[in-house]
Amino acid sequence: MTKYIKTAVTLFLISAVCTLLCALVNSATAPVIAANNENDRIAALDAVAAGFAIGEQQEGDGESVNYAIALTDDTGAIAGYILGLTGKGYGGAMDIIASYSLDGSIMAAKLTTNSESPGIGKKAENDWYMDMFKGLGADNPIPVSKNDLPSEQSSLISGASITFSGITAALRSGSEFVKGLGGAV
Amino acid sequence: MSHMKELTKGLFKENPTFIIMLGMCPTLSVSTQVSNALGMGVAVIFVLTCSNIFISMLRKVIPDSIRIPSYIVIIASFVTVVEMVMHAYVPAIYEALGVYLPLIVVNCIILGRAEAFAGKNGVIDSALDGIGMGIGFTMSLSFIALIREVIGAGTITLFPIGSFSGTITLPGLSASPVRVMTLAAGALLLMGYLKAFFTWKSSKGGKA
Repeated sequence: MTKYIKTAVTLFLISAVCTLLCALVNSATAPVIAANNENDRIAALDAVAAGFAIGEQQEGDGESVNYAIALTDDTGAIAGYILGLTGKGYGGAMDIIASYSLDGSIMAAKLTTNSESPGIGKKAENDWYMDMFKGLGADNPIPVSKNDLPSEQSSLISGASITFSGITAALRSGSEFVKGLGGAV
Repeated sequence: MSHMKELTKGLFKENPTFIIMLGMCPTLSVSTQVSNALGMGVAVIFVLTCSNIFISMLRKVIPDSIRIPSYIVIIASFVTVVEMVMHAYVPAIYEALGVYLPLIVVNCIILGRAEAFAGKNGVIDSALDGIGMGIGFTMSLSFIALIREVIGAGTITLFPIGSFSGTITLPGLSASPVRVMTLAAGALLLMGYLKAFFTWKSSKGGKA
């Protein structure tokens, strides 16, 4: 019996010391991580705002659209929307921030938090990747698969079809959401 | 002299990747870019050295029946520490490594060295073993990543410093790269060739 108690106490003490170490490091790094995340979010919003003023954040549709932010021009009229979208990638959920004109066409998009494979799915973080979708969503449809792309673009995303499909599905749902708003959040 | 041997054996003679064949999952998955390989290497050196030191210090205290759970708790703690620090101070590398960073917990090199070396040897030797094996792993990973990135993408991705963007683009190769080298099939193919080369080098044929 003593042997079992000694074993349990030893494992408990090791776990307690390890937990304390993690807690100390977390207390030092958590504020830095939170500040980084907020800076990244603001930078991503600025990057897709296309020069328009960013309004207040509103609720999305509770599915792929997490939130919507109206973009206003100099006169105060709504010129478009920024949407926070969630897509399903190879490594799980992907967060995408995209701006749309009122007709549902994409002005700009950015992949933020994701767990895609380094060097493969993570290529979607590059500006050239999202530039493929600029202007699509109204008269010109957003591609469903990489087969819908010109061959030179299709070869660039080779090996990351699931990432591509996840992003385009999220962007399409965002476009439909904006079309459904009819110019008002 | 024997201390020095513990440090250097992981570099070539007992290289964890090419000779002992440990840690193949992160080796194949993270070696798509040189910067990722270096980031993963630094994380592994830290975790391997710290866990080896702690496990060696506690080797006479930890009962044999809870040896493995204790090792896992210690290793997981250091991985969590390195994950939080990288997330806070080098977020680009943290994002690039993705799921493979927390998966260092189950990296065979870490638990393998704890079980095979740190649990049976003194603190100094265990620390040197961790550093040597970690550097050996980093060298192998970076070597594989360099070949894969150069052939598969025509670039060498390092870290941005000042006006340097961090990416060296190789003319010719970047225009028409061999894409398969960035995929899993290319990683396995390259690993096979490199393993064959190192086996040949360490065999009689290599000495001839």
